[in-house]
Amino acid sequence: MKLSTLLYLFSFALSGSTLCAQAPAPAQQQPVIISGGAAHIGNGQVIENSVLILEEGRITFAGGSGLLTRRDFTGFRRIDATGKQIYPGLIAPATNLGLVDIGAVRATRDYNEVGSINPNVRSIIAYNTDSPVIPTVRSQGVLLAQVAPQGGRVPGMSSVVQLDAWNWEDAAYSTDEGIFLNWPGLFSYSWREQSFSKNEDYTKQVEELRTFFTEAQAYAHRPEPVRSNLRFEAMKPLFNGERRLYIEAQESKQIVHAVQFAKEMGLSIVIVDGRDAWMVAELLKENSVPVILRETQNLPARVDSDVDQPFKTPAQLQEAGVLFCFSSDGYWQQRNLAFQAGQAVPYGLSYEDAVAALTSNTARILGIDNRTGSLEAGKDANLIICEGDLLDVRSSKVEMAFIQGREVNLDNQQKALYRKFKAKYEE
Amino acid sequence: MCLLMVLGGRAYAQETFPFNGVEDHRERYYALTGGTVYTTYRQKVDNATLLIREGKVVSVIPGGPVPEGAVEVKLKGKIIYPALIDLYASYGMPEPKAEGKAPEQQPQMLSNKEGAYAWNEALRPEFRAHEHFAPEEEAAKEYRQQGFAMVATHRMDGISRGTSTLVGLGDERPHEMIAREVAAHHLSFRKGTSTQSYPNSLMGIIALLRQTYYDGQWYNSQDEEVNLSLEAWNAIQGVPQVFEVGGRLEALRAARLGREFGKTYIIKGEGDEYQRLEAMKATGSAFIVPLNFPVAYDVEDPYDALQVNLEQMKHWEMAPANPGRLAAAGIEIALTAEGLEDKKDFWSNLRKAVLYGLSEEAALKALTDTPARLMGAGEQLGSLEAGKWANFFITDRRVFDKDSRILHTWIKGKAYVHEALDENYVLGLYELKVGDTSYQLTLSKEAAKPKMEIQGVDTATIKVEYSREAALVTLSFSPEKDGNKVRLSGLVKGGEWSGKGQDENGQWVAWSAAYTGEASQEDEEKEEDEEEQPELGPVIYPFTAYGWTERPGAETVLIKNATVWTNEAAGILQNTDVLVQDGKIAQVGAGLTVRGVTVIDATGKHLTPGIIDEHSHIAVSRSVNEGSQASSAEVRIGDVVNSEDINIYRQLSGGVTTSQLLHGSANPIGGQSALIKLRWGYAPEEMKFEGADGFIKFALGENVKQSNWGDDNTIRFPQTRMGVEQVYVDHFTRARQYGKLKESGQPYRKDLEMEALLEILERRRFITCHSYRQSEINMLMKVAEQFGFRVNTFTHILEGYKVADKMAAHGAGGSSFSDWWAYKYEVMEAIPYNGALMHEQGVTVAFNSDDAEMARRLNQEAAKAVLFGDVSEEDALKFVTLNPAKLLHIDNRVGSIKVGKDADLVIWSDHPLSMYAMAEKTFVDGILFFSREEDQKKREAIAAERQRLVQKMLAGKEKGEKTKPATGTQQYEQYHCDDNEDEAK
Repeated sequence: MKLSTLLYLFSFALSGSTLCAQAPAPAQQQPVIISGGAAHIGNGQVIENSVLILEEGRITFAGGSGLLTRRDFTGFRRIDATGKQIYPGLIAPATNLGLVDIGAVRATRDYNEVGSINPNVRSIIAYNTDSPVIPTVRSQGVLLAQVAPQGGRVPGMSSVVQLDAWNWEDAAYSTDEGIFLNWPGLFSYSWREQSFSKNEDYTKQVEELRTFFTEAQAYAHRPEPVRSNLRFEAMKPLFNGERRLYIEAQESKQIVHAVQFAKEMGLSIVIVDGRDAWMVAELLKENSVPVILRETQNLPARVDSDVDQPFKTPAQLQEAGVLFCFSSDGYWQQRNLAFQAGQAVPYGLSYEDAVAALTSNTARILGIDNRTGSLEAGKDANLIICEGDLLDVRSSKVEMAFIQGREVNLDNQQKALYRKFKAKYEE
Repeated sequence: MCLLMVLGGRAYAQETFPFNGVEDHRERYYALTGGTVYTTYRQKVDNATLLIREGKVVSVIPGGPVPEGAVEVKLKGKIIYPALIDLYASYGMPEPKAEGKAPEQQPQMLSNKEGAYAWNEALRPEFRAHEHFAPEEEAAKEYRQQGFAMVATHRMDGISRGTSTLVGLGDERPHEMIAREVAAHHLSFRKGTSTQSYPNSLMGIIALLRQTYYDGQWYNSQDEEVNLSLEAWNAIQGVPQVFEVGGRLEALRAARLGREFGKTYIIKGEGDEYQRLEAMKATGSAFIVPLNFPVAYDVEDPYDALQVNLEQMKHWEMAPANPGRLAAAGIEIALTAEGLEDKKDFWSNLRKAVLYGLSEEAALKALTDTPARLMGAGEQLGSLEAGKWANFFITDRRVFDKDSRILHTWIKGKAYVHEALDENYVLGLYELKVGDTSYQLTLSKEAAKPKMEIQGVDTATIKVEYSREAALVTLSFSPEKDGNKVRLSGLVKGGEWSGKGQDENGQWVAWSAAYTGEASQEDEEKEEDEEEQPELGPVIYPFTAYGWTERPGAETVLIKNATVWTNEAAGILQNTDVLVQDGKIAQVGAGLTVRGVTVIDATGKHLTPGIIDEHSHIAVSRSVNEGSQASSAEVRIGDVVNSEDINIYRQLSGGVTTSQLLHGSANPIGGQSALIKLRWGYAPEEMKFEGADGFIKFALGENVKQSNWGDDNTIRFPQTRMGVEQVYVDHFTRARQYGKLKESGQPYRKDLEMEALLEILERRRFITCHSYRQSEINMLMKVAEQFGFRVNTFTHILEGYKVADKMAAHGAGGSSFSDWWAYKYEVMEAIPYNGALMHEQGVTVAFNSDDAEMARRLNQEAAKAVLFGDVSEEDALKFVTLNPAKLLHIDNRVGSIKVGKDADLVIWSDHPLSMYAMAEKTFVDGILFFSREEDQKKREAIAAERQRLVQKMLAGKEKGEKTKPATGTQQYEQYHCDDNEDEAK
């Protein structure tokens, strides 16, 4: 691409962001009390007529109004949430949000690095806090995201970010917390033949992985390597549990094999995608392997599959006792994350379990449950107030959102354009 | 008398060729005596004398004398069948190869073939197989060994492949072997080696053929150009037309095309015709069907087995029944060896087809009489009647018996020997005497070579090694285990063998063997028991999971106590009943009572009109884009509707009842749309929305500029939005001129592209235009106004909100995504409030899917109009029901719940805009095409049928049957607007 074209695109991106340039909210100064709303705690509980107190970025009280002992709220900002629904801020796992602004424009794609095994590549560096997409996602209640690279065998490292930040350092919520790995496929698809064929290199590809992991493990225990290896350095924290391994796998056999691989290596892993996880749920449960489940609003994997299989997979995992959370494909699509959960409700998942799989389950899986994912005292004040049912499209109007106690601006470029043209037609 | 008639016209043959040495003409005057002769596929003469001379049959007379001067060939116990004819072959043809060099990574706009030929490289009617035919001995031998004497051969390359030639499979000069220079004109739905970009889709191929038929008609009445392809095309319209298709639906497509031009093709099928048997019968076509039955899948691994669909499993089981079912349905069939990996499998597969229901008579007919007649050569070939070619094969027993062997194939009176006639041992028991020692020798039946064993002195069975050349035989065996060998040499004369040899001690001894009787038959009978006609699963419609065993029909149904979203002035009615009768909504009201009808209690449930998806790409075969040219107005999605797409069923489960199947967005002027009702299980033509107005897809912006196709696609005009406008102005200007020419009464070339555009100008065809940016939306409206029509619908229309007032003034509707954006540059100002803003400005707004997944929850997408922009719930539901009906001009039939309208209805478990609503029952024309109860039954049936077939495959594998890895097609093509792969190859 020519430099002039780049500059042209760059200038457009700038003008796009200035249209609705929003300053991130400053740190919480004033304590907040939110009362009267139905609080979906995120752990399966719901408290009608709840009280939530937010102080210095944390939740200091969450419970029924009857339990509140404190009476003096002088200096508090009071929010009446009567008739509203309150949820922990949603967490979007395994997304390239912020790593791409315009899918078709190469200059804006920053999620796929050259090479196959890149554990040292860090998504946090490319995370664009100023992406015009982020405010549209935030305004639908997604307040945290696990930003992950894609492509190749080991795409790189993920980080969790909060979605109201000046820069990536500011955004970082849990830095370089995981490494993503795409498990080799057993079958490959040919567009021309319209059919699948066996991946003849499967064994070889698994062996390559095993070799890489074994060497990385040995390197991790080497007191003083002769020469430093960035890839192995990145792998080191995997072996002492400081970094997680996220393995993307769809099919039963891939999942079975990945779990076995992790056991051998002594690693705790998370399965990402897990299309067929419902078929091997017992194995996942036995080995305490959680799943970041691919989006619910999906077509069945096979012609013969139950037509509603993707809709009922969440309930099946829940029933089997597998820890799972919802995810959504893509970046701008993250604003529909709540609906991935809503879709599972008529197919057997209880409402509060659906909420948990958007919040506390996700936090547990990402290792940030000590800080967020539920409306409990001591946690970061990451929450949203919704006019109605967040999980149901027709009432999913998010009215307020707080990240670490800071009230987040819910405006975005799209709302601005809406106002602009509504005004034009009202002239 | 007979003899005189035959030879009357040809006292002796003359040749153009010189010869080296002394002339050696053979009259080939033979009397084949004593055998059973099948004079036709259904008549046989026992102990017949078959007299042939100069390559032709003279007579077949029971016990007839051997005339003086004829060579007698004794065939007692043998059977003579008319030789087989294969109409589908490329025997003796040059290898197809591309014309010239294709440009690398660039589109190729025109043919690379030099000369005054067709503009399109895949049109090769000028290829004449007889001009290229060169006998190939090795290939001929493979055919002959199976009893074939003739093939119609052609070069399998291109859409029009030119003509085939009917040739003998002998080793003589082509001059002698060509029976019919031009046998048939061959067509296909594959462009073969052509590297030209157009067509890149099946619908493009069909459009090209349709245009070529018109061009052929025009060519004869014009003097503007010489076109050798069209000349050839016209010249071969009178011969049989053979059309190769890829499966049952393509067979229907070919037949439908043929009907437009008064052609009944002979269809070369793929072997799945039984899956739509009645529709095949209705084509009136004869079929050439293959015998390459699929092998079983290796389903040992239960996870891997999931890769194989029910459809594949069922086809594995049923494919061998295809020839039999076609024949039983009264469809004329010819069989072909084409497609077999090894021609040696021909007879075992044919016997399998017979086992699965094809009568032996029908099998012979399909290989002799039928192919001869289909090629118009019934007078020359296909039976052993006087005057016909002396083409036959000789077997040692009935050819349908498992162990029968083809000994000779005779072509034009010349014998090709596979095994000597006297090579056959008399099977049974012999007394073998070696010197003074006697053994009992058993010569028993084996497929390839008889097995020879002796009972030794200690009654152990000892294998005898033997070999034979003509009447000379060599035997060796060890009388004692691991002991020295006895070696014998001698002569065979029927049941009497004799000669000399050396015994185990090296002493020379005389030996003999004499036939004493038949061997025990126990083993054989056991084998025959196993050969029962197998039980097969049912054919389901469509032939895939969730297909119907019985086609669902309309019932009179009373839906009681529902919350009814009428989409009419009455609004949303509580506790209301709806009566469905004869496929229509018969009554709407409270407390209806009708006797003798099915009553559905819908208390607590919601009833809405069926969802209408204005922008869909499901149920389309082999590409939604003919994107090789800036305009492809001539192509029709209606030519390629795929009734077997599982997404039809899935979308019924989401309440969809009507879908507009659109061409993609690869070019400014796309192709003509098809409107279907989701009548799952029906054939493609039965799914089409009767009497609907014609639509056509247009497209604007990045896709048509090829902006996101990589750096190679910078050749095709247009590359900018400026150019896009010019494409329209140019095409409509030309269409207008074309219209004037038509009106003038002068002869003209019917141009299907111009016809479609003229229909737009005359407001008989309507535009659905893919669009994003306001500038181009505005542009197209201005172009339309300049030419005096209006743009019916802008689809996607993501910046419609910026020009909603202009759209309303122009009269264009908007069918939008609810909330898509950010996937490319031109959608960066897309907003989810788009629908609401357009709606407020009086634009008729619909939300569409463009996506097989989203289509099954369009009710939720409608709810996004409530979420983003506060559209009322009643109006929001109209975005996916009544409004698309209006945009498609079918709101007189569907889109609301009103007496007299089609009973396309959905019963929802909950508020229809809620995430929690499930479509419980979906009716199309009052027929319950989907219900949760029926769905549950189907799931159980799928599981049971899979289990049965898996076990059957495993049992076969255990018995040593071949298997292949468990892989397969998982989904039908899932298309989006911008999918533009070349699927015409």
